[in-house]
Amino acid sequence: MSAVYARRRITNVIALTLSGVATLIGLVFLVWILWITAENGFSALKLSLFTKITAYADEGGLSNAIVGSLIMDLMALLICAPIGILAGTYLAEYANSSKLGASIRFLNDILLSAPSIVLGLFVYVIIVLPISNMTNGSISFSGFAGSVALALIGLPVIVRTTDEMLQLVPGTLREAALSLGIPQWKLTLQVLMRAAFSGILTGVLLALARLAGETAPLLFTAFGNNFMTVHPLDKMASMPVTIYQYTNDPNPALHAIAWAGALLITLFVLALSLLTRIMFSRKKVSYE
Amino acid sequence: MNDLAAAAAAPLTGAATPAKIKVRDVHFYYNGYHALKGINMDIPEKQVTAIIGPSGCGKSTMLRIFNRIYAIYPKLEATGSIELDGENILDKTYSMNRLRTKVGMVFQKPVPFPMTIYENVAYGIRHHEKLSRADLEIRVEQALRSAALWDEVKDKLKQSALGLSGGQQQRLCIARGIALRPEVLLLDEPTSALDPIATGRIEQLVEELKHEYTIVIVTHNMQQAARCSDRTAFMYLGELIEFDNTEKIFTKPGKKQTEDYITGRFG
Repeated sequence: MSAVYARRRITNVIALTLSGVATLIGLVFLVWILWITAENGFSALKLSLFTKITAYADEGGLSNAIVGSLIMDLMALLICAPIGILAGTYLAEYANSSKLGASIRFLNDILLSAPSIVLGLFVYVIIVLPISNMTNGSISFSGFAGSVALALIGLPVIVRTTDEMLQLVPGTLREAALSLGIPQWKLTLQVLMRAAFSGILTGVLLALARLAGETAPLLFTAFGNNFMTVHPLDKMASMPVTIYQYTNDPNPALHAIAWAGALLITLFVLALSLLTRIMFSRKKVSYE
Repeated sequence: MNDLAAAAAAPLTGAATPAKIKVRDVHFYYNGYHALKGINMDIPEKQVTAIIGPSGCGKSTMLRIFNRIYAIYPKLEATGSIELDGENILDKTYSMNRLRTKVGMVFQKPVPFPMTIYENVAYGIRHHEKLSRADLEIRVEQALRSAALWDEVKDKLKQSALGLSGGQQQRLCIARGIALRPEVLLLDEPTSALDPIATGRIEQLVEELKHEYTIVIVTHNMQQAARCSDRTAFMYLGELIEFDNTEKIFTKPGKKQTEDYITGRFG
């Protein structure tokens, strides 16, 4: 065995060990988090969580928070998915190599990493305060404002995945359609969107998973509510905010409910991830 | 270059085929890079013209000007004139829609649309013509038959085109192109991603299609050019070095560079 070969083998072993250890450390924490959540969550899981509202405190449940979260997450998705998909399409198909496109991508990346509390404050200033002033305080914090703040979390995720998924579609597919005389809009809508469909849908579900766990944007927008409401202009309860409030409370019974809530969110996000995986593997379009 | 231009433009001895496409002094620039340097050539009607040459010689570029597909990218520019049936297609007023129904193109890698086999062929027709369902079915069948694919796919027209083999996909792309009843068919290295058997089928198909279409095929496979073309153009470093009957190019080429290339001394 030559010296060069021996050195390469040693370097390889070292690199492999280091990356293996790094993976292990990452996994240990992930499993640990899931384990603690599951351990504390499952033991606190009971039917009354889904039937009773938070007004009863440790005698109550989370039903209003679950409903509030579902409503706000869904409304947020309805706001950010169309805008995000259209913006991502614009970036990939119309502004791909332009300076404008590059600047929009850059700004989108900033939005992607913006602290979520900032987005919450932003929505507080542009929606909550003006509405409150207009209605003399009868409407202030609302589920609607919460959804807008959540939409700002989801928007950059969808823009980015749509952009990337469309760019993954081979350029020759565009050329093939254009060389048949198909106009750009038809090509985008009927060929490229179809080719990138599962990828774009994955982006939307990822955005949903991301915004479902956000607390900070909701603090100054949806605020919270101890009673059941489905009206978008009412203050609205949500899972993350309720968990946050309950963990700040000295009452251990509320801690248990918070754990159960944390488990429910985790399971929801896990289910979404599984769904996206299944869809991506089944409907994948390959041009290899 | 002028003697070359004259030679290329001169009518073929013995073959009374009129020129379908007349290329006159065409220059092409990629973001400032001079890729084609004054090309003059006449593409004869209802014959197969092969363009050969080493990588980067401009043969694909030449092909991509014939249907102006290059125009979808920024910073590319073509000058000179290319007359298709006497009209300059480089003229900004020449309708892109019209050009692309008259000139079909098949690419190096087969790229079926993410649709069913039937939809792949019907898609283009439906965009340009309003046909009844029955008429459309006839047109799709005709196109698939012309592309020698009908017998293999007639029982699975509703299945995804992505499930076909590479060779079948490429014939589907040819069917998709000829479904619009173009007059010119451009083939950009159509067999380079295919195995020998699939390649043989495509070449056979080219032989059959030339009775109806003017075909221009770019290939870096010299045997392929020799097998299936009537005329061969040899390009090198953005210039058209020689353009003559295929037989003559491969047996007694007029230029030293052509001879060097076809005997494998470079390329």
